Amino acid sequence: MRRTILAGLVAIALSRGAFAAAQLPLPPITIEMMQADLAARSGSDTVYFAGSSHGIDAAGQATLTAQATWLLAHPEVRARIEGHADERTPRDYALAIGERRASAVRDFLVLQGVPDAQLTIISWGKERPAVAGTSEMALALNRRVSTVLMR
Amino acid sequence: MLGWKFKACTVMLAGLVPNAALAQVTPVTVVAVPQLSTPDNVATSAGDTGLLARYVADVITSDLRSSRELMPIGPQNARVYSYPEATAPSFTQWRTTGAKALVTGFVQARSDGRITIACYLHDIPGAREIARKGFVVAPGEWRRAAHRCSDAVYEKLAGRPGSFDTRIAYVAESGSKNARVKRIALMDSDGTSHRYLSSGDNTVLTPRLSPGGQYLAYVSYAGGQPHVRLIDLESNEDRPLLPGNAMSFAPRFSADGKRMLFAMADGGNTDVYAANTDGTALLRLTTSPGIDTAPSFSPDGSKIVFESDRSGTEQLYVMNADGSDPRRLSFGGARYASPSWSPDGERIAFTRIAGDGLRIGVIAPSGSDERILTTGPQDEGPSWAASSRDVLFQRSDAFGRTVLSVVSVDGGNPRSIVTPQDGSDPDWSTGAK
Repeated sequence: MRRTILAGLVAIALSRGAFAAAQLPLPPITIEMMQADLAARSGSDTVYFAGSSHGIDAAGQATLTAQATWLLAHPEVRARIEGHADERTPRDYALAIGERRASAVRDFLVLQGVPDAQLTIISWGKERPAVAGTSEMALALNRRVSTVLMR
Repeated sequence: MLGWKFKACTVMLAGLVPNAALAQVTPVTVVAVPQLSTPDNVATSAGDTGLLARYVADVITSDLRSSRELMPIGPQNARVYSYPEATAPSFTQWRTTGAKALVTGFVQARSDGRITIACYLHDIPGAREIARKGFVVAPGEWRRAAHRCSDAVYEKLAGRPGSFDTRIAYVAESGSKNARVKRIALMDSDGTSHRYLSSGDNTVLTPRLSPGGQYLAYVSYAGGQPHVRLIDLESNEDRPLLPGNAMSFAPRFSADGKRMLFAMADGGNTDVYAANTDGTALLRLTTSPGIDTAPSFSPDGSKIVFESDRSGTEQLYVMNADGSDPRRLSFGGARYASPSWSPDGERIAFTRIAGDGLRIGVIAPSGSDERILTTGPQDEGPSWAASSRDVLFQRSDAFGRTVLSVVSVDGGNPRSIVTPQDGSDPDWSTGAK
């Protein structure tokens, strides 16, 4: 365990040193690059929900805790918390439950210290499925909240 | 003599309905619809009056054929009667057709460039006129006059308002499922006069026509947050219902068209609100910490049915129009959503969600007589015909295609309504357009 952490620290130090030594102009950092960085460091930019619930399970809490750390390290980046429902949810209820899930994630991030002003929420209802179809797998992958970074 | 071979005056539909267990037996009245007459075959901007006389009869035949209660015998085999016979038919001749009712009429050119379209409904066994309608319209408006003749015939013979001179608003869909382009579309209920009211730049949902047909309420993502907007179909003005940036959705008009019900979400809590159509007199009607959405007025405006998960799962509730005395309506061991109160007040249509998918059903406002009308697995968003006999809804198939369908409250197989693209969120206007 300790060896892994040490190795990680060495790697970060080396990479920073390499940048400094080369003195190359940094490539412009796009919002897509930051989004990929958030997803890589947090495990995912998305958390998933069971049934009609808006409760965040242990895996989701771990992901969001890491996302909060990332957001606190990048106070200049705003995030839009986008809530979704699955296709088996009628239209109006899907909009409401997407908002409730997004609010639950926003509240969790704020409890971790992320400034409220850094976050906005939106519900997409069932208008933007991640996966097409109505298989149990597709439904589960569409009951989600994504943290989408914005400049 | 007349060319019709049809003999029976009443046909029982039961044998034709596949789902006979659900279907009630509906007696069918045979109606003769020969070509209308014209006193003088005059050219108009929409064609000769003799040709329009045939078109009007074709439209009336087509309209009546889509009803359960009436069986029209169209103009194709009938002789053309003379102009004076429109008001004084030869009943002894018509009696031999076996038809119970007869629609006659005429199309006449006027000196001002418009045309007169008149239609008369006769009771053949009783040998008397029982209804009449007359319209002076631009020649290009002949189709609408024909629909209104159909409405008059249907109302007299079936005892309920017709829905032929009505429109259907819906969402036209194209593109892949995760980047769907959605546009508000409007058409006459027979599929003609189709037009788009939004460009597809913003996701739009749930169009609802006002009872008089002047306004269309819908949900738009324009500006980011989904919110209720209103289009004035006469001036084409398009404005948000409320000021500010709140998330609002699920709009529905009151029967008098003056008030709107909708849902507003904030901080994970969705509640039902009412406001005037100009956004004033905003009133919050529910206060539960759960989701309260999808409100629909009773036709007399005294009650509201809505959907709530205050019990843990989505269920239907009925409350007074001021929000007092909510009581649960659905106890069918499933989830219930998107309720819609019928124009005659007798039933509430809903979407039922269970392990086998989403289906359309109806229930009495007392909570009794629940019936499931469709087989699913992805049927949702019921909207009533003016007759309160048919329910329009959206059906998605296994390939993800979404079509508009109509099912009778008596059961039976739904019929599809053809649209140029996939269609969802249908709404059937209930008043004159």
